[in-house]
Amino acid sequence: MLALVFTTAQIGHLLHYPLAVALTCASLGLAVARPALAQGAGPAADATPTSAAADATPAGLSEAELKALAEGAAADASSAPAAPATPQATSSAALSNPALSLILDTALAGYSEGKPLLTGGHDPKRNGFNLQQLELHAESSVDPYLTLQANIVFAQFGVEVEEMYAESLALPGGLQLKAGQFLNAFGRINPTHLHSWSFADQPLMIGKFFGSEGSRGLGAQLGWLLPLPWYVEIKAAATDAVGACCARSLLGGNDLPVRSPADVAYTGNLKTFLPLDEDWSLTLSTSGQAGPNASGNGNRSEILGGDLYLRYRPVADPERRHLSLQVEHAVRARQVPGRSLVDHAGYAQLVGALALRWELGVRTEWTTGVAGDPLDPDWTTNRQRHAAQLTFYPSHFSRVRVQATLDRPTWRSEPIWGAVVALEALIGAHGSHGF
Amino acid sequence: MIRTVTLFALGLAATMLAVPARALQVVATLPSLATLAREVAGPHATVECLLSPRQDPHYADARPNLILSLNRADLLVVNGLELEVGWLPGLVRQARNPKIQTGTPGYFDASLHVLRLAVPGRVDRAMGDIHPGGNPHFHWDPRAAALVAVALGKSLGALDPAHAADYTKNAAVMSARFKALAHEWTQKFAALPEAERKLVVYHDSLVYLVDWLGLKQVITVEPRPGIPPDPGHLAKVVGTVRTTGAKALAQEEYYPRGASDQVAKLTGLRMAIVPGGANFGSGQRFDDYVRGLAKTLYEALHGAP
Repeated sequence: MLALVFTTAQIGHLLHYPLAVALTCASLGLAVARPALAQGAGPAADATPTSAAADATPAGLSEAELKALAEGAAADASSAPAAPATPQATSSAALSNPALSLILDTALAGYSEGKPLLTGGHDPKRNGFNLQQLELHAESSVDPYLTLQANIVFAQFGVEVEEMYAESLALPGGLQLKAGQFLNAFGRINPTHLHSWSFADQPLMIGKFFGSEGSRGLGAQLGWLLPLPWYVEIKAAATDAVGACCARSLLGGNDLPVRSPADVAYTGNLKTFLPLDEDWSLTLSTSGQAGPNASGNGNRSEILGGDLYLRYRPVADPERRHLSLQVEHAVRARQVPGRSLVDHAGYAQLVGALALRWELGVRTEWTTGVAGDPLDPDWTTNRQRHAAQLTFYPSHFSRVRVQATLDRPTWRSEPIWGAVVALEALIGAHGSHGF
Repeated sequence: MIRTVTLFALGLAATMLAVPARALQVVATLPSLATLAREVAGPHATVECLLSPRQDPHYADARPNLILSLNRADLLVVNGLELEVGWLPGLVRQARNPKIQTGTPGYFDASLHVLRLAVPGRVDRAMGDIHPGGNPHFHWDPRAAALVAVALGKSLGALDPAHAADYTKNAAVMSARFKALAHEWTQKFAALPEAERKLVVYHDSLVYLVDWLGLKQVITVEPRPGIPPDPGHLAKVVGTVRTTGAKALAQEEYYPRGASDQVAKLTGLRMAIVPGGANFGSGQRFDDYVRGLAKTLYEALHGAP
């Protein structure tokens, strides 16, 4: 939506002064920024070259030379990272201390409805300013056999241990054990955190099937890297099946006691990676989760999913351009006395870094519902949501994202429009992320 | 039925645990390091490289197939100084290979064996993407390579004592050759007039080369490491070139060319585009890589012969 406001020439002009755009976006937000960007960036843009030239023309550069230099800089589209997912550690003093980082996610949001029906625990769901989260991440080796990772999330009104687990380094036979509280390896989005997502909000699929925090629990997971010539990994986990935030298709808010192994949640994932060539990568995976639900004695829920991630990144491209397609779909079946309830959810997103520092993405989501669903009365019919985002990365430690969404829950007569300007900033040493 | 299951389970366990006798497996992150490792190891080890010389090692993708190489490795050779921090640590953790974890004999950090340059006293990210332990781009420098080769020889010897003498000998031969090469080009560059020893670089990644060849780096095209040039800074670059009389602009082939080309056009700087690493895949030797590099720089500074 925002992109439509600019003419091509304006965008080209703004590309020279990304920081001005970033700061303007961050401080003014989309609703205000639409007029303000066009006007606000104008004077900044006009002022910059003059002052820069005045400061920095020891050899007395002509106007034509300055213009040529501006073209040169624009051709490079500025040289900073396209990948926030690979921030770099910073402090050599942290050789024995855990690597610590703080990540701030804050957003300004506006929706056509006061209650925009967002399902993610850290979604920017209020009209106005939102603190999505402040994440404190710590990781380190414990000893030669274990590492420990902790993700502690601060919100305005509380602190939450999102993940805290130890993971083995030295089991034989390609095995790796993880124990503690962790996000389950279901699909692509669920095991990851907000700051590695390509959109400002959580996919509906996660909120509908698992809960506002995604599928996670206290438990243990065993991973096995198969002894094959290409990458295939199987993960199997047992976790507690409770929590409205994290197991809403299972026991949800009903904290029932565990009486047998059938009372916990089991999650499995089979993932394969195919490096099609140096530039093209394909990841395919299938996931499943099963556990008890709260509808009665011995009744169970099952969720089966599949996902695909196709990425094109020409490794030698100085502009570090890439294009990635990611699709996930899952089907949920819940046994209730007398019958089974079956519904679906999924999304597809296409995200590309089309120039250095700039990323563009579109996403479409779908969910179905079951009429009169006694276990999920809020999701009884279909819903579709579409989003588009434009992100600017001043460096690999920060990003400003503008996102527009159109949500169509069929149980409402009017669609819900939304616009978000989100700022993320990272300090400290943050570990590398998975592919 | 029980027998079948037991046999299957035993078979599976055997597959998982069997470690057949094999040559030492060495995995290096950068092609230049892989080239050194290949020559030190000779026939006693197989060497794999995780990145291609066309890739910027700051921004590699952590592709899961790399986990397989790391899983098999007896020795992991890394550049260090946080050059690979954006993609390597997670892969090493997932490799399920205790032999190559940090602090083990199978984890070889080359940066611990070189004389580090540009170690900042204080680090703040407002300074750009600074590496706190020092500038990590030492792989150009044959003097550093000589030190790395000798240290690699020791590490390989510790992992494979049966061939320790061979590793030590190979490393000594390489070290002598690299030192001679370093000396030869130092002399050659020293004969250039002072004006022909001044250069501009794109990223601050040639400090070891500059130090080795007695050059003077007058300015970088990036205003700060990892921060792209803006027109104001480029004007400063052009001004500096004109006042200092620098002759060449050097950059790795994986950096953008737009700004550099404009600066070169305005100032008459000759461009020296250098490969980001030795061509490990084609079997190139480290000496040949460095010689090519020095020659490219020499011709850019002095003019083609």
